[in-house]
Amino acid sequence: MNGPKVIFTIPIFSGIKVTESIVNMWIIMAALTAVSVWLTHGLRVRNPSKKQLALEKLVTMLESLVKDTMGEGYISFAPYIGTLFIISIIGSLSSLLGMRPYTGDLSVILAWAIISFVLIQASGIKAHGILGYFKSFTAPAAFITPLNIISEIASPVSMTFRHFGNIAAGLVITSLVYGGLASLSAAVLSWIPNDFIAAIPFLQIGLPAVLSVYFDLFTSFLQAYIICMLTMVFIQMKAE
Amino acid sequence: MEEYLDFVTIDFWTMVFTWLNFIILFLLLRHFLFKPVNRILSKRAEEIENTYKIAETAQQDAELAREKYENRLNEAKTEADGIIQSAVSRARERSDSIISEAQENARHISEKSQKQIELDRQNAMKEARQDIAGMAVDVAEKLISERLDSSADEKLIESIIDQI
Repeated sequence: MNGPKVIFTIPIFSGIKVTESIVNMWIIMAALTAVSVWLTHGLRVRNPSKKQLALEKLVTMLESLVKDTMGEGYISFAPYIGTLFIISIIGSLSSLLGMRPYTGDLSVILAWAIISFVLIQASGIKAHGILGYFKSFTAPAAFITPLNIISEIASPVSMTFRHFGNIAAGLVITSLVYGGLASLSAAVLSWIPNDFIAAIPFLQIGLPAVLSVYFDLFTSFLQAYIICMLTMVFIQMKAE
Repeated sequence: MEEYLDFVTIDFWTMVFTWLNFIILFLLLRHFLFKPVNRILSKRAEEIENTYKIAETAQQDAELAREKYENRLNEAKTEADGIIQSAVSRARERSDSIISEAQENARHISEKSQKQIELDRQNAMKEARQDIAGMAVDVAEKLISERLDSSADEKLIESIIDQI
């Protein structure tokens, strides 16, 4: 099983490899921006269109989720959480269009988790001050400090591996199933003398769709939701 | 020859690009998606608030106008009552004065007529007296001219006086 394909290399710093994860992300970012512009085009205060109502409902839902999870004072986090959710779920769902989902790339998820980690620590510093922040590591006793540091670092690591693991496992299992179905079709059709017809992987039609419902739709949504939820909860907990 | 990264690998440049992409997408979505929607939502909330305020003021104005109207109506009513009452009292005064005037007139007239009657009576008496005197003179003349005896004279005089 391969990792992301290198699309092109920028010839500086001994070659920066731009992988398909990044290129796919660019495509999706462009699409998301275009959709955003289309969605927010012609918003009206009175007589909103159905499109606008749906959009308002979604944004309100996101904001009430942030408010309910983190509290009234954290509403400014809503755009960040929304961006994280959208880029995660659309990235995972892009596998439905035959793209390699960049959420199956460890580097991408780790980068997101590090952003969340920085925000979590920043909210701790903001809430308790630098001294209070460092002092909080020694609670409840000084000898616990190493454990506190490990647990602090563990949260982005666990976030990363959970998200990456689920999507990557989906990729692996899906490609295994496709490979297996191809050999099975070949075995079933081996009596046909025509090589072209015998090579048609007819069992690949339909059956993988059932797996796709779980690995693409369900897991995509769940992992996007989990990474957002964990980020919100950790930020809020650290500030308390 | 296609080049692939390992399936499980941490690629620094992929992370750098992911960070940049995330920040760019965050700014794009905030500018093109979240801000416009929130602007519309807050504008709508504001408009609803304003509408409520306007409705409240309108209601207060209506209440005020109603009170004013009622007050004016009451004023008009009392004024009308006053006018009627004054008219009635004036009419009563007028009728009283007319009646008393008429009574005065009647009294005046009756007094005058009584005086007149008295005067007439006195005049009549005077005339009668004069007539009697005249008659007495006539009788005397007759007596003298006929030269009757004294008893006959007395009888005659008596009968004349009786005749008067």
